[in-house]
Amino acid sequence: MGAVRVRALEALDVDVQRGEFLILQGPSGSGKTTLINLLGLLDRPDAGSLLLDGRSVGEMDENARADLRRDRFGFVFQTFNLVPVLTALENVEYPLGLRREPRAAMRARAQAVLARVGLTGREELRPDLLSGGERQRVALARAVVHEPEVVFADEPTAHLDSQATASVLELMQELCDERHVAFVVATHDPRVVARGHRVLTLRDGRTVVDS
Amino acid sequence: MTVWSLALRNLLRNRRRSLLTGLVVVVGFAAFTLAAGFMAQSLDGLREGTIRNGLGHLQLADPLAFDDAADGSLEHGLANAETIERILRADPAVVEILPRIDFVGLITNGNRSVPFVGTGLDPGPEARTMDHATALSAGQWLADRNARSVVLGGGLASALGVHVGDTVTLLATTADGTLNGVDASVAGLADIPIKELDDRFVATSLGLAADLLLVPDRVSRIVVMLRDAAESRPALRRLCASLRDQGFDVAGKTWEELGLFYRQVRLLYLGIFGFMGAVLVVVVLLATTNSMLMAATERTREIGTLRALGTRSAAIQRMFVAEATLLAGVACLVGALLSLAVRAALNHSGIVLPPPPGVTHGMPLYVKLYGVAYAGAAVAMAVTVVLASALPARRAARIPIVEALAHV
Repeated sequence: MGAVRVRALEALDVDVQRGEFLILQGPSGSGKTTLINLLGLLDRPDAGSLLLDGRSVGEMDENARADLRRDRFGFVFQTFNLVPVLTALENVEYPLGLRREPRAAMRARAQAVLARVGLTGREELRPDLLSGGERQRVALARAVVHEPEVVFADEPTAHLDSQATASVLELMQELCDERHVAFVVATHDPRVVARGHRVLTLRDGRTVVDS
Repeated sequence: MTVWSLALRNLLRNRRRSLLTGLVVVVGFAAFTLAAGFMAQSLDGLREGTIRNGLGHLQLADPLAFDDAADGSLEHGLANAETIERILRADPAVVEILPRIDFVGLITNGNRSVPFVGTGLDPGPEARTMDHATALSAGQWLADRNARSVVLGGGLASALGVHVGDTVTLLATTADGTLNGVDASVAGLADIPIKELDDRFVATSLGLAADLLLVPDRVSRIVVMLRDAAESRPALRRLCASLRDQGFDVAGKTWEELGLFYRQVRLLYLGIFGFMGAVLVVVVLLATTNSMLMAATERTREIGTLRALGTRSAAIQRMFVAEATLLAGVACLVGALLSLAVRAALNHSGIVLPPPPGVTHGMPLYVKLYGVAYAGAAVAMAVTVVLASALPARRAARIPIVEALAHV
């Protein structure tokens, strides 16, 4: 038996504006993660086009896509995906290191962002010594430390308790409002959906509601 | 966070695996350097033995003598040997001149005759440069250039039943084909390590050999000892040119050209060592590849995350290569220390290796400190480990990001 080809997304037209808090919701398998992967340049579409500032980015080579992700995007994953051998501070510094920023400036900025997410005093701890909520806040700090234009978050609150969820959402909202960072968040969580400026409901790879 | 600091942390992440992989490199390095040290020491010993057991650094003779070496009649001997000696002594690289007359014949004690291989020589310079004089098991070395005495191999003396002070008769064919004989007293018995030679060895003075063969001022060959074995080739060219300028038709060979046994042993050693080195490299390659593949597989999701954050594929590959290089560097350092410790222990152990075929004495085990082997092993191990990491690194860097992020 060969592999079954599934059309994950179809006839979809999405645009994301600066400072927008866009929620993607829908049942499992509806295409939320696939859409985040495509918009975040982690995957390539079989058909259609991806435009960034009106410029096609779908056909770019891997290095150019990596540079775009490094400079303009941030990512928050459902399972935090922190680098286990790095401390909280070093995890947050990582995107700045990729941009070859000066060491002192990098450290100061990472510390400031960690303070912003309420992790002062926890900087030198490795991820295995942090709670789930703390890890997700480190992940969020890593996603925004280089001041990206868009942060893609896939189920960012799936493993968090109510208090941690509220804290993370508060921070995302602040960044969105104050720094005009756009958030594209795939979620099932109604508390997250409630924060969205715009909610895209997907089913079987199609938009069924855009509100 | 530098790439080296990250590499170190990743190596320490799975200490047991890194330790085992490193251990393979450590043992491989130590085995390689110890084997090379032993081989180098053996070859050095064999070279010195080859030179000091009679071959010398250079040998000069009539060009036809090299093509007809079995002839013991001096038909192709060098005339005016003393003049040739004077010319050779003028060269600054020359330390000693050893004229030799080679001959074969029968030696008898009156009751029994045994074939021998004889050499007429100048006892003084021979005693200063060759091992003959120090290898005596009884009696004394020949007194002078005209001594009427012989030194016999222990096996030959035993076959004849003669002792120091006894008289023997040497019989040989002269240049004109007649049989001639001379009497000589046994001055000493030599302890020759090669049994076949020990059973046939006769050394006597140049004067006695000339009397036996009826050829005054003619020698079979002239052996030259130099300050340094490394000077052999240029010195040979220079000396042959000087002699030809003076009208002597001579040819010469270096100890390497004459030492067939040395060349064969060297080739054999290189073959064995090369095979052993190849096996070590394969073992290290497999162990490291396995270790790096496991590391890459375990870290697939992490690699996907790093790439999602904007790390280029080449940087991911560099990360793995840095880990391999660091592992190889530390392992080589430990391997070198282990090798030095084992070398010291072996050299002080007093172990005597059994004698090789045809040799009567065992050899004390000694491992030379062979710097080239340490450098070679470090390069070989580092290159092997880095190569072993290249495939897993490439694989890890090329896996699609979404696939890597979904890896369980």
